[in-house]
Amino acid sequence: MALLALCALLCSVSCKHKAAWEEGKKVAHFSVRAKLGTLDPIRSSSTYDNEVQSQVYEGLYTYKYLVRPYQLEPLLAKALPTVSEDGLTYTIDIREGVLFHDDECFPGGAGRELVAKDFEYSFKRMADAHNQPTGWWIFQDRIAGFDDFQKRMSERGDAAFDWDAPVEGLKASGKYQLQIKLVRPFPQLLYVLAMGYSFVVPRECAEYYGDRFSNTAIGTGPFMLRTWTRGSRIILDKNPSYRDAYYPSEASPEFQDMLGDAGKKIPFLDAIVYHVYEQDQPMWLKFRVGDLDMTQLPAEYHEAVFNKDLTLRKTFVDAGIRNYNLPLLDFIYRGFNMEDPVVGGEKNKYLRQAISLAWDTKELNDAFYNNTCVLYDAPVPPGLDSYVAGVTSPYRGPDLERAKALMVKAGYPEGKGLPHLLLETSSGGNTEEQAEMFARALKEIGVQLDVNINSFSELSTKLKKKKAQMFGLAWGADYPDAENFLQLFYGPNEAPGSNNFNYKNPAYDALYDQSRTLQPGPERTAVYQKMREILIEDVPSFGHLARTRFYLWHGRLKNVLPDETFDGWRKYVNIEEQD
Amino acid sequence: MWPYILRRLLWGIPIVLGVTFTVFLGLHVMKGSPGAAFMGKAATVEQLEKFDRDHGFDKSYPEQFVAYLGEVFTMDFGRSWKTDRPVSDMISEGAGKSISLTLPALVLTTLVAVCLALIAAYFRGRSLDRGIMIVAVVGMSVSFLVYIVVLQYLLAFLFPIFQIHGYEPGFWERWQFLILPILIQVVVGMGYDTRFYRSVFVEEIGKDHITTAYAKGASQKRVMFVHVLKNALIPIITRVMISIPFLVTGSLLLEQFFGIPGIGSLMLASLDTDDFPVIKALSVLISMLFIVSTILNDIFYAVVDPRVRLK
Repeated sequence: MALLALCALLCSVSCKHKAAWEEGKKVAHFSVRAKLGTLDPIRSSSTYDNEVQSQVYEGLYTYKYLVRPYQLEPLLAKALPTVSEDGLTYTIDIREGVLFHDDECFPGGAGRELVAKDFEYSFKRMADAHNQPTGWWIFQDRIAGFDDFQKRMSERGDAAFDWDAPVEGLKASGKYQLQIKLVRPFPQLLYVLAMGYSFVVPRECAEYYGDRFSNTAIGTGPFMLRTWTRGSRIILDKNPSYRDAYYPSEASPEFQDMLGDAGKKIPFLDAIVYHVYEQDQPMWLKFRVGDLDMTQLPAEYHEAVFNKDLTLRKTFVDAGIRNYNLPLLDFIYRGFNMEDPVVGGEKNKYLRQAISLAWDTKELNDAFYNNTCVLYDAPVPPGLDSYVAGVTSPYRGPDLERAKALMVKAGYPEGKGLPHLLLETSSGGNTEEQAEMFARALKEIGVQLDVNINSFSELSTKLKKKKAQMFGLAWGADYPDAENFLQLFYGPNEAPGSNNFNYKNPAYDALYDQSRTLQPGPERTAVYQKMREILIEDVPSFGHLARTRFYLWHGRLKNVLPDETFDGWRKYVNIEEQD
Repeated sequence: MWPYILRRLLWGIPIVLGVTFTVFLGLHVMKGSPGAAFMGKAATVEQLEKFDRDHGFDKSYPEQFVAYLGEVFTMDFGRSWKTDRPVSDMISEGAGKSISLTLPALVLTTLVAVCLALIAAYFRGRSLDRGIMIVAVVGMSVSFLVYIVVLQYLLAFLFPIFQIHGYEPGFWERWQFLILPILIQVVVGMGYDTRFYRSVFVEEIGKDHITTAYAKGASQKRVMFVHVLKNALIPIITRVMISIPFLVTGSLLLEQFFGIPGIGSLMLASLDTDDFPVIKALSVLISMLFIVSTILNDIFYAVVDPRVRLK
């Protein structure tokens, strides 16, 4: 006891919750999970990477903060682009007078002005395999001459990358003008240009820091990197030379009450501190004591914080805590390899339908997700074009009687004659328990399921080699367009491409080809609907879920509308002045 | 002594080679290239092939193993695939932080456990002895994770005596974050150590030379602290010495829960992200530390017990 008393005394003197430098400043403390790996936008491999990068770097476009469904708006571009009549050439004017952060990589240490050439350079970085880019796919087979350029550069081996070699479809056509020429219409191009992979970096800094570039960050964003103590925290300071940018004056009806700061200059915060957490309990306790201003709610605390109707419990409301339940554009599913002789192809459709009918996604949602997921049938999650609420697939389980009847139709009455099926899934979380639940469900209709738990790398390799018979996986939206999900079933994208199902249906492919040329609108939505119907009938995937993320913050934070489609919204967050 | 140390170091080579081979089997043969995890969900075959070429996965297993041996021989494991930083920098940074946590914990645990064990041995068979042993057994029976979760909640949140989470690199600033994890480590380690040391002391007390010391009129204090403690030093040293590798590798759970960016955290992060260079470096480092700690153990035997000769 004496020891504890002494510790308490020592700690009352030395244990400070806020650092001295924070005095008199607006500093927001956020949490980030330990998986944060890189600050180089083209190497980004997680939402955590993207979140921090998005405060420091910027791209040509972003999304309107307070408008839903998502709408694009210019960020470093002056306006939305001029698009040629054939939909192939995009001319983008860049804002003038935008400065990069001050850094020693610039002559004299002062950040220089952004020009169109910087985008040309930044996009070309994605073609340099030495950078290990994870986002090359956003431009692959889209920009005229870019694939050839990438191939030529790869063939040079260790010889220096030729940054000045021209790319037909990517050029700075003026000091402040960028021109992109596509190989075929790609209406989603602007979404791609709003992604983190497309953030602009200054060439001199990438070259100056070389291998260390992924550990630093010099962009045009509202915040600048002060320190990154790996595994501990990241401190970002307000960029003093940030251009004149203002809090939005436009909001959807549900966000009208967030317009209090409309027209005021941003960013409001003087600094952001990201604290790195590997475990949920300390993150949650830090939030409870107010050291963290905002956090995602760890699943284990869900019942303690939320009522059954997903409203905040009174204790937390009284404590001044606010929340936003963010529906994710998520596609969690189980899928079939359509080239597998047992489960794939047209002839085994009844078996796939039976398996889908045997699986109770509601039970899964209840047991593992606190009933917070949205269940849906075709692989387009709620919130996107072509999603129709309330429309249910005839093959959504559980309906064991129909499942058994379909097993007879498939030629396997009560599972007789059907070999053991194999589900490949990745380790982590509770995937093992979920797989066990699935195996138990299939047993009800006589299907014997073996489960193989893989690391993510192992599972990816099997999928790329078409070696998985059945698999469990998730896909998060790269941009808010149904195309990002529907392309997962496009024949030419078969493995090793993104079509892990190796699903090939000429009718579906023809519709996909048709949709690629269409701008968003009723005509394209109608095509998407037809594609959904085909997928529902063929069942290459089933048991679809979209998760909900629960964000909580203390009342002193203002203007908070969490989002994961774009992460650059911390510049709008303000802190209530306290007496 | 030097020939002995040299010989023991040479004997360590097959051990390191064995560890190297096992790690190689686990990573390169059984797990294979982690290119898919590094290159993202939409990686092309060309990108994966390039990743494999750049990291030697396109070579035969013997060639890959020889390359790994080269890294072990030069102790140059290159740069982390995940962070792009030199592996040696990452390890040296993490080691200091881990030692800040584990060294005070080891010293305190040993001191407290030896004192409690001496008291228990002195009062053996009486209620104080039984009381200490009951506390020790109960302490041992509770899982490490439970101690962490409960004590963090109680002593850092409910009664905010300590910091919940965090770390400051400054020497004086770091302690406010380290006190609670050190305390937990001491509580967890104390139970087992106290029981072990008590049994050593009780055995020592029963020996003839102790009876002789009493017969010669030595005081209880002198018997316990000079005759018993000194002669029981070998098992104490053994116990301390086998802990040396863990000083550097840290305590994975404590580091995770309290946000101490030490080697434990680094190890977990590298396993989680398939960061092979870091995993390989840490595996070799740990095996070398075990070899060094056993040699140190033998040297200390010779120091405290003149009957022991290093040949």
